[in-house]
Amino acid sequence: MKPLLIALPKGRLEEELLPRLQGTAFELDPRALKSRKLRIPMADPSMAAILLKGADLPRYVAGGVAALGIVGSDILDECPVDLMELADLNFGVCRLSLCAPDHTTLEQLRLKPHLRIATKFLGATGRWLRQEGITAELVPLQSSVELAPVLGLADAIVDLVQSGKTLLAHHLVELTTLGKASARLVACRGTYLSEPDLIGPLAKALAALLKAE
Amino acid sequence: MPTHTPSFPDLLFDDAAKLRRWESQLMTLLDGAGYREMHPSLVMRNPVNPSTVRFFDGDQLVALRWDFTEALARTLVRRFQEPPRRISYAGPVFRRPANSWDPVERLEVGCEHILTDPDQRLDADRELARLLMAVPALLGLEGCLLHIGHAALLRRPMEMEGIPAELGLEVARVLDRRAIHRAAELLDGHPAKARLLAHAEILLSGPDGPGSLADLARGPYGALLEAEAEQLDRVFSVLSAQSPKGLTLRLDLGDLRGLAFYTGPTLRLWAPGAQRDLASGGRYDGLYPEMGRPWYAAGFCVRLTTLLELGDNTEGGK
Repeated sequence: MKPLLIALPKGRLEEELLPRLQGTAFELDPRALKSRKLRIPMADPSMAAILLKGADLPRYVAGGVAALGIVGSDILDECPVDLMELADLNFGVCRLSLCAPDHTTLEQLRLKPHLRIATKFLGATGRWLRQEGITAELVPLQSSVELAPVLGLADAIVDLVQSGKTLLAHHLVELTTLGKASARLVACRGTYLSEPDLIGPLAKALAALLKAE
Repeated sequence: MPTHTPSFPDLLFDDAAKLRRWESQLMTLLDGAGYREMHPSLVMRNPVNPSTVRFFDGDQLVALRWDFTEALARTLVRRFQEPPRRISYAGPVFRRPANSWDPVERLEVGCEHILTDPDQRLDADRELARLLMAVPALLGLEGCLLHIGHAALLRRPMEMEGIPAELGLEVARVLDRRAIHRAAELLDGHPAKARLLAHAEILLSGPDGPGSLADLARGPYGALLEAEAEQLDRVFSVLSAQSPKGLTLRLDLGDLRGLAFYTGPTLRLWAPGAQRDLASGGRYDGLYPEMGRPWYAAGFCVRLTTLLELGDNTEGGK
C-alpha cells in the first residue's frame, strides 16, 4: 500500500513545525531530511511527507496528491482552491500589514494621485483597497518586498510582519493591519469526505499535536 | 481523463464510448421510474452569474447553459400551467470551476421531481434517494458513500438569530470548508456567536451516522430543528433498510454546499478516489415560487465528468 502523503511547508513555518513533530508518528526521517529529497518518510511507515513551497502546497492538497497539508492562511487567502480548512493551528502567527517609510501617514498615502503598493499578497491587498475606497497600482513582487519603497519602486508595501525587525532595518513602519495569518491544517475535500474513517482520525491527531494555545 | 484540453475536454474513442454507455444506462434507469427527457437549449438568456461562459448574440448577452435545473425551470414556467411531475436530462453544462484546473464543460445526467402538493414531498425525496442509491451499482462502482444532509440545519438558526443574508452565506461558505475558526472571526461581536459556533461544532463533527442527530437534539437549536431532525431520521432509517450492498449511507449534517439554493434534505454521492462528488442534489422549494409558480421541487445530477476522471479505478471505467 502506498503511504498517505502529508504536504508540509518549506521556509518560515517549517522551522516552527518540524520540532513539534519530533518523537511522534509524524516525525520526519532525519537522514532523508538532511538529503535533497523532497519526499520524506515519517516515523509511521504508512505516511510520508512532501516538502513544498507554500504557494504550491494548496494545489497538491486540492488535487488529491496529498491528503492533508499545513499551510499559512496568507497563502490560502491568495489562491482560490477548493479544500477543507480543518483547524487554525495558531503557530507561525504574524500580521499582514501596510508599511511605508518612517514618518509617512496613511492619510498621506490616501491623498497620493498615483499610489503604488508593492506586495505578493495581491488578493488581500486588493480587497482591503476596495473596502477602504483607495485606488492604487499594485506592484507584484515575490521576495525582498521591503526594498521597494527604499529604492523608489513603490510608495508602500503590504507584507507579513512577525517581529518587525526587517521593517526596522529598512526604516519602515506599520501603518495599519489588514489581517492575521497563521498555520492551518488543510485536507483534500474528496479524500476527507470519501474516506472519512481514514482521514478524520489522522487530521484530529495532527491538529491536537500541532495546535498551539 | 487521458486526452483533453483543460477547460473543454475532447473525448476520444474509449471515453466517448464510456460516456455514451453511462448516459444510456442512467437514462434507462430514469425512464423506468417514469422520468421523461427534456432537452433545454444550450444557450440561456439573462446570465447574471459571473461564473458562466458568456458571449454576445448580436447585441444581447447570452451564456452557455450553466445549470440544467435553472434551464428546465425557465422552460417549464413558460410552457406549463401544471408541471410535468418527473423530468430527466442529459448533456453538458458550462460553469467556471472553483479550482482553475477543473473543466468548465461538464457532462451531466439528472432528474427533477416537481409537485404541487407539499404533502407528497417526503415520498418524492425518498424516491429520488432510492434512484441515486441505484447509480453506483449501475455504473460498476464499489465502496461509494451517500451523504444525507439538510440545508435548513444551518439556515434556520441563522435566520432566527437575525444574521444578515450576506453574512449568513459567508458563514456557510467557510463552514463548508470545515473552517469553524473563520466562522468565529465572521461572527465576532454578534450576540449569538457562542450559540452558533456550538451548533456548527455539532454539524461539522463528522459524517458518522445517526448518532449525530442525538447531538443535534441536545445542542442550542435542538428544539428549533426538531422537525428537520425527525425528517432526516425517517429518511435515513427508510433508506438504510433499502441500501444496496457496497453503498454506505451517512448522515452528513455538515453538508452546507448550495445553502442559498437548497431548502430541505440534500444528497451527495462520493466514490473512493474521486476528488469531487459524483452526484449531488436535494430539495429546492424556493426556485419555482421565485418564478411565480407554487411548485415544490427536488432533483439530483450525476457528474459523468467526475466519473471519467476516476478512469480505470472503477469497473465502470473499463
